[in-house]
Amino acid sequence: MTPLTHKVCMLGDFGVGKTSLVARYVRSTFSDKYLTTVGVKVDSKEVALPGRDPLKLVLWDIAGRSALDAPSTSYLRGASALLLVADGTRETSLSSALNLLMQSRSTLPDAVAVLAVNKLDLVERWEVAATTLSELRRSLPVFETSALSGAGVEEAFAEIARRLPG
Amino acid sequence: MIVDAAWPVVVQAYLRAVLVDRTHLLLLSFAPGWRLLDLQGDPAFYGLAPEAPDGLRSLQDLFVGLPLDRDQDIPFVELANGRSAHVHLVADRDAFHVLLLDAEEARSHERVQQQLVHEAIIAGHAKSKAIGQLKDIRDELGRQRSSLEEANALKNALIATLSHEFRTPLTSIFGYLHLIERRATADATAAQALQAVRRSATYLFALAENLLEYGRGESSGALLNAVEVDLGALLADVEGMFAPLAEAKGVRFRATLAHDDATAPRFDEVKLRQIVVNLLSNAVRYTTRGEIVLALAWRDRRLAVDVRDSGIGIAPEFIGQVFKPFNRGAQAGSKGAGLGLSIVRRLVDQMHGTLALESEPGQGTHFSIELPSVAAIAAGPEHASTLRGRRALVVDDDADVAQLLEVLLEDLGFEVRVLGDAASAVARAMDESPDLLLVDVELPGLSGNAAVYQLRAQGYRGPIVSLSANATTDARDASLRAGANHYLTKPLNLERFVAVVRRAVGEGAKEAT
Repeated sequence: MTPLTHKVCMLGDFGVGKTSLVARYVRSTFSDKYLTTVGVKVDSKEVALPGRDPLKLVLWDIAGRSALDAPSTSYLRGASALLLVADGTRETSLSSALNLLMQSRSTLPDAVAVLAVNKLDLVERWEVAATTLSELRRSLPVFETSALSGAGVEEAFAEIARRLPG
Repeated sequence: MIVDAAWPVVVQAYLRAVLVDRTHLLLLSFAPGWRLLDLQGDPAFYGLAPEAPDGLRSLQDLFVGLPLDRDQDIPFVELANGRSAHVHLVADRDAFHVLLLDAEEARSHERVQQQLVHEAIIAGHAKSKAIGQLKDIRDELGRQRSSLEEANALKNALIATLSHEFRTPLTSIFGYLHLIERRATADATAAQALQAVRRSATYLFALAENLLEYGRGESSGALLNAVEVDLGALLADVEGMFAPLAEAKGVRFRATLAHDDATAPRFDEVKLRQIVVNLLSNAVRYTTRGEIVLALAWRDRRLAVDVRDSGIGIAPEFIGQVFKPFNRGAQAGSKGAGLGLSIVRRLVDQMHGTLALESEPGQGTHFSIELPSVAAIAAGPEHASTLRGRRALVVDDDADVAQLLEVLLEDLGFEVRVLGDAASAVARAMDESPDLLLVDVELPGLSGNAAVYQLRAQGYRGPIVSLSANATTDARDASLRAGANHYLTKPLNLERFVAVVRRAVGEGAKEAT
């Protein structure tokens, strides 16, 4: 049986680790070399959730932006979910992620949204306060992730899958 | 036809070359359900294999959620083989066409430009952050410099004095021992005696090294490194050291051990040994007849150390002086640096023990010391009552440290659970909300700081104490920033440990110390 397929867009400022999170999640790999993404790269992964039919997530790794421009908006069309990504060591990237969420709401009012605050392996250098994330958790699911170690990555994508219609 | 048929043929051919060949145009025509009808161009150029069952799956994935009856344009798509293409969907009544135009050159150009800009911004951010930290460090260093300079001058003077006092004669002792040992190996008694001399000299050297610690500050000396002590072995060692020395002076030497407590004695063995060695050194030095008795008794989780001699004794007016450092002359005929008993007093204090001295000139001296086991120190009576029944979660991958923490906390009245990794500790702490969470910072995988941060970010408000072997201010600040209420360094200073645990549990809310 062909699994139900959903488009998931990765949104966030440049250098926050969107490509690395996809690489960790889909291929279990990590590279510490920063290579900026131009345009979009599409990957996919099937997710099996207990008690549900498998889902297929088509992951759109979109070039980093602090605000949505016309091409980025066009990439969002048809998406069922957004994985907003921020870098814990750059507080401004969290503002960017939240800004992107607000802007994307006009295109995708009903899309599932999950926030991944990445680079947990560098937690000693984080600028984002724990209390900020504690507050944010009241309005959307938040995961501290590390593409390097894999911490929280599976959980963040699983949360998206769990919230998508089966 | 992609150009106007009315145009000259050569122009048409030229435009075809520009628009089709240079862009490596690939045209795929589909019937509904992504059934391939026609294909023009080279699909392998884009890593596509239409003949394979899933060869066009990645192309289909691009249009998930999008209507196929409307034209679509997706610029700069990185395909499975790493090439970039502009992908277009052109609706055509009951069918649709997908066009791929090579965008690799444009993507490469764009990437180089963006990469430079992004790296410059990231480097700028890191630079301004580092400058801010450097300013803080410089201010802090400035504040500490003057007091450190003063303390350092005092410390250096003391260490220089002691180094000379101890090292010079010991160098001579070891040198002559070496010479004599080379010549007297055939005589068994002499060899045995030399062995005893070497043993004693070695202990003296170790003691001298420890005495140098005296000048290295209170804080490091006050740390207790608790281990299970073999009292029998300790007794045999010091007997082996001092019995020959006493007997050589015609003084009888007796050593006894009463082991009435079933629990294992836990002490800082180096400090305990220093206490016994110093007391016996004193006894042997000032006794010329009669006997010297060492009695160790382990009962009720306390170790009694009694050293009694029939030596020259101490005059009443000097009793108060013997525990002061550099007290040469307190006892008649004193030749030492005058540090031995002051070190005993200091070590006994550090070990939370009591010390009593009775002496009569011409009759002898009796030192009586009581030392509580390390675990007993942690469990002061006032602590156990208020902390009984509280739940503590200990997270440490070092089984020995975890066990020590477990024992200490249980003695304080806690019910303790121990985990070896941070990830399961986060889940457990969120589930059970223990009254106290003790987390080692240097955990494998998810670090202790990361776990603490995650807990705080999930709204966990219970008290958290971080433990680390790293005593730097940076390490401490990093833990507190991650969300710990308190930061303790290893090896543990037990008094501070108990105080911090009490304060953490009493607070129940974040307050950095």
